[in-house]
Amino acid sequence: MSETMDAANGGDLFEKDYIPYITRWGLITNLLGVLFSFFPALICTFVFGLNPGIGAIIAGFIMQASVSGVFWFVEPISYFPVLGVPATYMAFLSGNIGNLRLPASVAAQNAASVEAGTDQGTIIATVGVAVSIIVNIVFLTLGVVLGSSILSMLPKTVVAALNNILPALFGAMLAQQFIPNPQIGTVAVVLAGGMILLNKYKLLAFLPGNPVYAVIIVAVFGSMLIGRLMHEKGMIK
Amino acid sequence: MKYLEIANSPLLWLSCGLCVALVLFQSTLFVRKSLSTARKLNITDGQIRSAVKSSLTSSIGPSLAILAGMVSLLVAMGGPVSWFRLAYIGSVAYELMAAGFGAKATGVTLGGADMNGIAFAAGLWTMTLGSIGWVLFTALATPKLDKFRHILAGGKKAALPIISAGAMCGAFAYLSLDRVFRMDKQTTAALAGFAIMAAFTAFNKKAQKQWIKEWSFTISMFAGMFISVLF
Repeated sequence: MSETMDAANGGDLFEKDYIPYITRWGLITNLLGVLFSFFPALICTFVFGLNPGIGAIIAGFIMQASVSGVFWFVEPISYFPVLGVPATYMAFLSGNIGNLRLPASVAAQNAASVEAGTDQGTIIATVGVAVSIIVNIVFLTLGVVLGSSILSMLPKTVVAALNNILPALFGAMLAQQFIPNPQIGTVAVVLAGGMILLNKYKLLAFLPGNPVYAVIIVAVFGSMLIGRLMHEKGMIK
Repeated sequence: MKYLEIANSPLLWLSCGLCVALVLFQSTLFVRKSLSTARKLNITDGQIRSAVKSSLTSSIGPSLAILAGMVSLLVAMGGPVSWFRLAYIGSVAYELMAAGFGAKATGVTLGGADMNGIAFAAGLWTMTLGSIGWVLFTALATPKLDKFRHILAGGKKAALPIISAGAMCGAFAYLSLDRVFRMDKQTTAALAGFAIMAAFTAFNKKAQKQWIKEWSFTISMFAGMFISVLF
């Protein structure tokens, strides 16, 4: 009895106290993040007089926005069900989402035996992302202290090997999802593989810009919706 | 004054440091709240310790990869900007591209012989303007994303983990197959990482060994890397 009461209170606390606190501070800190990120550029231009001119700034922005613009929306929407509310604010303020924040939160949830999408999963993802932020900043600080002259002395084979860490990590992440959910996993592999091949052979060229966003949308949302359909039909637990 | 002296000046360190401090401030705030809430949701200290251990070891490999990518950024953009940009929004690939686009907009190649202060500043502006979309969108829309997720789950809380599993399968299927189809060492690395982790996960379904839960990602990631170098 008391245990179910606790769980009920816990659920209430999560929705009525935890999430409102996070969304209030998430809004404040991420808006501050937008403001602060301008300071280095403003200082270069208005203190040190390095002024590329408004034309060049707009031209650079348009080139970049044409590549990244879709992802400002696609990435948060796609990764949200894994990260949850707090880790979404944190991951997009700190960057390196797919290659660091997402794996760190999944690894944390796996080790703590909690499921993504649950209240417990959301809390553990927050811890995982925070740890990855600290590790990342420690390594970057080390990198700056060592400097480019020492870092560039790394043997070519080491740098080449480091480039293969991420593919191995992505493969491992897929396996960790695939084994317990083989049906959804198969759907995801077919959708993602099919879309990547369509894109490779320029069959998505009718879409504006570089259609990688379409690959992600179909893979993520297709797997979510087909997964839910299979769940409703009782094909998966 | 050479532009790299400006790029490495104390004022730039200060303004970049402010951004890194904000990231740490937000993390501290959220983790403190999460830990106090965790107790009330019946999450044990043991679970928290395991989560910390596992995310810590799993973050080392990707952080090393970021460090390798940092070299080219350091040469062109100096210490403070590289340090702050790689801890803030974007990723290595994004930052290099943005710095390149900015330099190009002034008619200069990033890090080339003609690289100058104006191109540096244009790169910095492009990095900044090109990335605020992510932070602005998450600042404003995250509560709505939570509602959207409940709609996707058909309003049933029990279906939320299925939605998350679908999102994870979809995201990692895309991220890993994108490497598999490159048909080079990355293909080997992705397949090896998949095979090793699949073996760990299948074995641990029954065995339920805590050390496997904590270390399997790190082992799979480095083993996959070594296998790709060897073959």
